[in-house]
Amino acid sequence: MSQWLADVIDRAGSVQDWLSPVRGEALATLQNQQWPGRRTEAWRYTSLHPFDALLAQPGSTSAQVDSREFAIEGLDSLDLVFVNGELQTDISSLSLPTGLSISALDEPTDNARSVAGQVFTQVKPERHLFGLVNDVLATSGVIIDIADGASIETPVRVINLVTDKVESHNRVLVRLGKQATATVIEHGSGDGASMNTAFAEYQLGYEARLEHYRFALHSADAIHIGGSHFQMGEKSRLNSTLVGYGSQLSRLDVDIHHAGEHAFAKFNNIYLLAENEHFDLHSTIEHAVPNGTTEENARGIVGDNAKAVFNGRIHIHPDAQKTLAELNNRNLLLSRRGQINTKPELEIYADDVQCAHGATVAEIDDEALYYMLSRGISRSQALVMLNFGFVQELIEQMPNKALRDWLQPKLKTRFEGMEVK
Amino acid sequence: MMLSIKDLHASIDGKEILKGLNLDIKPGEVHAIMGPNGAGKSTLGYVLSGRDGYEADSGTAQFNGADLFDLEVEERAQAGLFLAFQYPVEIPGVSNMEFMKESVNAIREKRGDDPLSASEFLKKAKEACKQVDLPLAFLKRGVNEGFSGGEKKRNEIMQMILLEPNLCILDESDSGLDVDALQVVANGVNSQRDGKRSFIVVTHYQRLLDYIEPDYVHILADGKIVKSGDASLAKEVEKTGYAWLGAKAEEADA
Repeated sequence: MSQWLADVIDRAGSVQDWLSPVRGEALATLQNQQWPGRRTEAWRYTSLHPFDALLAQPGSTSAQVDSREFAIEGLDSLDLVFVNGELQTDISSLSLPTGLSISALDEPTDNARSVAGQVFTQVKPERHLFGLVNDVLATSGVIIDIADGASIETPVRVINLVTDKVESHNRVLVRLGKQATATVIEHGSGDGASMNTAFAEYQLGYEARLEHYRFALHSADAIHIGGSHFQMGEKSRLNSTLVGYGSQLSRLDVDIHHAGEHAFAKFNNIYLLAENEHFDLHSTIEHAVPNGTTEENARGIVGDNAKAVFNGRIHIHPDAQKTLAELNNRNLLLSRRGQINTKPELEIYADDVQCAHGATVAEIDDEALYYMLSRGISRSQALVMLNFGFVQELIEQMPNKALRDWLQPKLKTRFEGMEVK
Repeated sequence: MMLSIKDLHASIDGKEILKGLNLDIKPGEVHAIMGPNGAGKSTLGYVLSGRDGYEADSGTAQFNGADLFDLEVEERAQAGLFLAFQYPVEIPGVSNMEFMKESVNAIREKRGDDPLSASEFLKKAKEACKQVDLPLAFLKRGVNEGFSGGEKKRNEIMQMILLEPNLCILDESDSGLDVDALQVVANGVNSQRDGKRSFIVVTHYQRLLDYIEPDYVHILADGKIVKSGDASLAKEVEKTGYAWLGAKAEEADA
C-alpha cells in the first residue's frame, strides 16, 4: 500500500455529501485493493513510480488562470471552467438552451440527483483503483442532462485545469435522453507537477446521438489518470475523438458498452508523445447485445524516450450476434529509444460476428522519405509531413471544424518539436 | 557543362553495377540512355540523385560546377536536379498539393525567390495538371495514392513542370504506358525543352524516343557506356535489339 493511497483512504473518510452512500461502497472496495505493481496485468507496462515522489498536494490554490489559453477560435461553446477542482463558472448565469440542464456536482438540482443516480458508478461497474479514488474524492464536477428529443447545437465544454503541485479530482456525468443530440468536450490540461484524476460517464438513451471529444493535454511533469465511459442505448450513436499528449504518467480508460441493440460507436484516438512522456490507453468495447457496431482507430507517434501503451479489448458476449467490431492501432516510432507496447485482446463468444483487429508499429518509410528529399524538401520538413500525415487523417475525421482548425496546428507544432531518429 | 561524369563506379550491396561510366551533358541537350535490363540504367539515376545505398565508390560528377556527390539528396534537388521515378512512391496522408507546394517553395527559397502563396501555387498547379491531362481532383489526393501506373508517371511530369529543374532524369518514364499516355508524357517533356534545360532519358525501348527526339543516344551495358551516337542509334537498337552486346550484358541485377 502506498502512502498516497493510505492518505486517500484517510481523506475519503471525511468526504460527506449527498453521494456518500455510493462513495461508501467504493471506499469499501478501495480499502481491499492492492497497489498495482508489475504483475498487475492492467498496469503491467505503466509504472506507478511517480507516486513515490508525488509533489502535488490536495487543496486549491489561488492560481490565476488565463482563460484565453482555452479559447478556440470559431468555437461557440458553453464553457464550464474548473481550476484545481473549483468551478469558476457561474452556471446560473449561463443561458442554457431548452432541454439542456447543467448542475454542479456539489449543488445538484433534484433532476441532477436522479441523473447521477442512474449514471454515477453505474456505467462502468468494474473500476480500477484510480477510478475508485475518483469515486470517493471527486466532489467537483458537473451533471449534464439532455432531455428527451432535445437537440443541443452548442457544444458543452468542460475545461479542467490543474496547476503545478496541486492534486484534484473531477467527475463528469452525462445523460442523453431518448433521441437527444449533443456535443460534449472534455478539455483537460495540467500544468507543472499537477496530479489529477478525471472520469466521465455517459448514458445514451434510445436513438441518442453524442459527439464527444476528450483532450488530455497535460504537461511533461503531470500525472493524469482518467477515463470516459459510455453506455450505448438502443440505436444510439457515438462519435468520439480522444487526443492525448503524454506526461510523466498518463493513463486513460475508454469503455464503450453496447447495452442496447443497433448502436453505433466510432472512437478515434490520437497520441503524440515526446521526451520522457508516458501514455497508456486502455480501451474496452463490450458488445453485450446483438447488432452493435464499433469502429475504433488509434494512432500514435512516439519520439525521443517516450513510451506508449495501447491495450485494445473487444469482448463479444454469447448473445451479441451480428456484431461488427473493428479495432485498428497504428503506431509510428520516431526514435530508437522510444517504446510502444500494443496489445489486442479479443474475446468472442458469439459465432455470427465480424471482428477485425490490427496493431502495427512502423518506423519511418525510407522510400517515401527519399522521394520527398529528391524533390528538394528538407529532411526535417519531410519527416514532419510524412509522419504528421499519419495522424492528420484522424484529425480530418473530427466533425467539428473549429476543433480541427485548432488542433491541427497545435499538434503539428508539438510534433515539429520532437526529435526524430 | 551542365553535368560531367568521370569514371563513375558504384556498387549496390557489394556488387559493382557501374564500372567506369563517363558522360558529358551541355545545357539544352537531350541524352537518351538505352540498354538491356540490369545494365545499370536505374542505378545511374539513383546514384546521381543520392539515394541511400547508391553511393559512388569512385569517380566524380560535376553538376553546374559543384561536386554532386558532396551534396545531400535535397541539396541536389535544390541545385536543379530532378529524377522522374520509374516507380513513384505512394504517400497517404500527405496531399499531392501540399507535397508539391513544399517542394516548389523549398527550391524557390534556395534560389532566393519568395515562396509562392497558396493561391499563386494553386494557379500554377492547375495549369500543370491540365498540361499532363490529370483531373484537378488529383491535387487533393494523397501523393500517388491509388493512382494508376500512367497517372503516377504523369504526376511525375507535373512535378517536373512545376519544379523547373536544370537537369531532368527520366527513369523509364515510358514503362507501362499506352500510346496516349506516352504522348502526354512526351508532350510534357517537350514543353520543357527550352534550349537551356538538359535531359537524360533512360529507356529500354526506342518507342519514347519517337516522341522525345534525343541529341545523343548512349548504350549502357554492364555498367559502362559502350556506344554513343545520334538519334539514329536508337533506331538501330530497335532493329537489332541488345543481343550484339553479348551474353554478359544480359545478367540481371538490382
